[in-house]
Amino acid sequence: MIYNKIPFDVIVCGAGHAGVEAALAASRMGAPTLLLTGNIDTIAQMSCNPAIGGQAKGQMVREIDALGGEMAINTDVTGIQFRLLNESKGAAVQSPRAQCDKKAYQFRLKHTLELQSNLQVFQATVTGLIFEQGKVVGCRTNLDIEFHGRTVVVTTGTFLRGLMHIGQNKNEGGRLGDFSAKTLSTSFLEAGIELQRLKTGTPPRLLGRSLDFTKMQEQKGDAHPTLFAFHDTRDPQDLFHVEQTGERRLGWAPGCEQVSCWMTHTTAETADIVRRNLSKSAMYSGEIEGVGPRYCPSIEDKFVRFADKPRHLLFLEPEGRTTNEYYVNGLSTSLPFDVQIDMVRSIPGLEKAELLRPAYAVEYDFAPPTQLYPSLESKRVENLFFAGQINGTSGYEEAAAQGLVAGVNAVQKARGGQPLVMQRHESYIGVLIDDLVTKGTNEPYRMFTSRAEHRLLFNHGSAELRLLHHATERGLLSRSRIDRIKFKRDRIQYWLGIFENKRSGGVFWGDLMRSGGANVQTPDSFSDETPEIRAEVIYNVIYQGYIERENRHVRKLSHIEKIRIPAGLDFLAIRGLRRECAQKLAAFKPFTLGQASRISGINPADISVLMVLIESSGAGESDQN
Amino acid sequence: MSSHVDTIAALATPVGTAAIALVRVSGPDAVRLATEIFGETPPARLARHADYRDKAGLLLDDVLFTFFAGPASYTGEDSLEISSHGNPYIAQRLLEDLFARGCRPAQAGEFTQRAFLNGHMDLAQAEAVMDLIHARSERALASANRQLRGALGRQMGVLIDGLLLALARVEAYIDFPDEDLPPEDRALVAEQIADVLRGTERLLATSHYGEVLRQGIKTVIIGEPNAGKSSLLNGLVGRERAIVSPEPGTTRDFIEEVVSMGPHSLRLIDTAGLNPSPGAIEKLGIGKTFEIVAEADLFLIVVDVASPAPLLDKILLDRLKAGNALVVCNKTDLGGAPAMKGELLPELKAVSVSAKSGAGLESLRTAIIALADGLAPTTGEDVVAINARHAHALNQARADLAAALEKLATGEAAELLASDLRGAVAALGEISGKVDNERMLDALFANFCIGK
Repeated sequence: MIYNKIPFDVIVCGAGHAGVEAALAASRMGAPTLLLTGNIDTIAQMSCNPAIGGQAKGQMVREIDALGGEMAINTDVTGIQFRLLNESKGAAVQSPRAQCDKKAYQFRLKHTLELQSNLQVFQATVTGLIFEQGKVVGCRTNLDIEFHGRTVVVTTGTFLRGLMHIGQNKNEGGRLGDFSAKTLSTSFLEAGIELQRLKTGTPPRLLGRSLDFTKMQEQKGDAHPTLFAFHDTRDPQDLFHVEQTGERRLGWAPGCEQVSCWMTHTTAETADIVRRNLSKSAMYSGEIEGVGPRYCPSIEDKFVRFADKPRHLLFLEPEGRTTNEYYVNGLSTSLPFDVQIDMVRSIPGLEKAELLRPAYAVEYDFAPPTQLYPSLESKRVENLFFAGQINGTSGYEEAAAQGLVAGVNAVQKARGGQPLVMQRHESYIGVLIDDLVTKGTNEPYRMFTSRAEHRLLFNHGSAELRLLHHATERGLLSRSRIDRIKFKRDRIQYWLGIFENKRSGGVFWGDLMRSGGANVQTPDSFSDETPEIRAEVIYNVIYQGYIERENRHVRKLSHIEKIRIPAGLDFLAIRGLRRECAQKLAAFKPFTLGQASRISGINPADISVLMVLIESSGAGESDQN
Repeated sequence: MSSHVDTIAALATPVGTAAIALVRVSGPDAVRLATEIFGETPPARLARHADYRDKAGLLLDDVLFTFFAGPASYTGEDSLEISSHGNPYIAQRLLEDLFARGCRPAQAGEFTQRAFLNGHMDLAQAEAVMDLIHARSERALASANRQLRGALGRQMGVLIDGLLLALARVEAYIDFPDEDLPPEDRALVAEQIADVLRGTERLLATSHYGEVLRQGIKTVIIGEPNAGKSSLLNGLVGRERAIVSPEPGTTRDFIEEVVSMGPHSLRLIDTAGLNPSPGAIEKLGIGKTFEIVAEADLFLIVVDVASPAPLLDKILLDRLKAGNALVVCNKTDLGGAPAMKGELLPELKAVSVSAKSGAGLESLRTAIIALADGLAPTTGEDVVAINARHAHALNQARADLAAALEKLATGEAAELLASDLRGAVAALGEISGKVDNERMLDALFANFCIGK
């Protein structure tokens, strides 16, 4: 049967971290939205570690918040431990990180979705997409119910032909206990969308009361937790609007009653067990064809590649306040279950550990993201958007960021508006998406601060200032919040004016601070400002020279970033373009000259030729953003 | 669409020795540069004669320069045209100085491209412009690839690998602070950076030898007016060279000729106006003559065996040594005894010739080749020659590396240290081709066990 006569503006397939942000962004923009999930009870499940944030990811979560996303608030009110990483390495690379209560995290998000107007949530497995004349118009489900939509956002995570490995044991599914979306892959292939395989893994989960924590080192949260959401610029209604309607919600006062993580390490015996059983590992016996991430190697990989390293650090992370389950960070493996037991019990404090769930590796299909425009819309199929692990990424934050952008852009597409495309100098999300759609990836892509050439501009506290114009243009934030951010921005500008133009005893306040650090004397009423405003002012004063240098670099490049390449340009017919370059461009269809310049093998002369062509044809529309 | 934010500079005349070399500058900094270098920005389209002093204050040449105010210029932007003497070495020095003052080397066809983009050419010319960019860039690319296949490419590879290793170490501590990394070792990072800095400086030091390779060993013929310098030049060149009569009061009073001698290419310079007597060089000022003496690689001191030994200028004497100078005792056909040679410069080798009859010229050639051999490393595998564009990039890298070392010493934040190192990577990448962040990550994951 066909469920709806009038198509939804946006149908989101999958309710993981990408899907929920996509659905919330779209419905909050006022677009009728449908969210389909194979299992309503596992919405926004943390399939791997129970933590949000960390290097670059923490900044990205704040950017999600700056664009009206949910991940930041959800982390704040369901977090059970907060730490600010990199405090000594400089202001721009400081990143907040939080351990979360896994179930609370999920249930609060599920509840948020349920209460969201314009949004309908439904449990059904998507089995295929419906295409009409090269466009997607809806999807089919296992219940023989069809849903029609003007745009479709696909966020299938690891579920596309998901295959789990525990030693020689194989199970179909995207996550232990869940199913695999098998037929959907066929639908993509039929539409001409290329698929490849990736692999990722997760460690075993242990029962807390079987562990001896006295043999481990405690890792506590910060006394003063750094939160993700910009509480200082929010209306109380933004923060707890659900309570205002009398609904009861999961969650607690952010940062209260923090719990600890525990550190231990592998032993010589662990190494011995792993080496003896290497041939039984799915990854070392040739069972797995997908490529795994270098930054998250299995314990087998660690012992093989760094054979001279005597021990490897492990972190026991609690999965929640109301469960005794612990996640063993650093012990991802695809060894058989019996070997896993021996291995775990060779570790100090885990001698009597009981395993609640085994570690496993999972292989899944992903669609190489170079098949997407920077809006995350497919180049092959109009109105079809992809976000999250299906684009080859890894991580909840990377997924959520893409989900949000895809959700916004699906609405923009349905309404005929300009897509939200952030530049590389504006945000980690901009870097993430540009990297994906321009370079692609051959391992699960995770964000690192080093991927952002302008990371000195990306201190986490500036996210909502940096992205204000995007949020305003697309209507992603409430009027009152935008006003508060503008007020904050104006205060910061005011103080920067004072610091750079007013003197104290003959010396500019700014110079005083640059020579003496943040603790020198400041103008009188400066201390009356909020900590957020003060931090941003101090950052701008102390890093003034660096920020200027970055901005100079940005200006140099901004020119070609703004020149759009006309759709349908026949690269192969352009005189003066090297053949190999023309072929590459024809296959790739870059969006702007800036994007073209980042494709490997395209040199500056090729860009010059293109620029002359675009200018002479008068076809280059300049992006006002 | 005049939105170019950077100012470009390049040699507009063909590389080689010609009467005049034209350096063209275009972009928003043209006015600033004119004021900085010449102390004024003259009215547009009015040629001015001025001394060109580099950033350190050293006189490079006296030049003619013309300012063109945009949009009434070739590119449509504010532009400067600087005409120097046709010595390619001077042109390179001018370019290096312009780069040091903030210009960047123009890309192939970029002046023409700017002219087009600024609306100074009609649409029908677009394809011609594209063809031109294409052709020039193909040539530039081919030449760059030739260089990178050789010793330069290898040495750049060593530098970049070393730098990426240091950077990977810094980045590992930024991006994986919670991981199981060995204790942070700033001394080791400093050592690695210092190593790359030394390599960069070694490469920069070859920039002069690069000139030697391309333009020949600068060989100055010095002697009193009647000692037979011109005959010697003609004798070595092997044909009559038209002598341009010197114009008194100008500095164009020298003659150059390039000759092959054994494996070497020599630029013979006959200093018609250079009287070696005491105070003469000083009197002529620190212009062309001083530069010639200061920059020469080889000296041929020509004396007339029949005349008394000349008294040489102090500035000249200070530069002469056994490894770079020969005394050429000329006019042996007239039968005089080269007796005064010993008094003049006992440590220098002397060769007797008759430039007129050609006698002794072969021995002189042999002696010159022997000196040239000692002067330049033989053209083997390790010879690296860098040009002004390379020197520009290497200088940038050197500045960034020095800044990084400074930050390590003062204990500044890792992200700022990384910022300098990334600047150095980008600078070196301008020579060897862009260095992608993936290469740093490769180095990082190969050397550090990351994995939570």
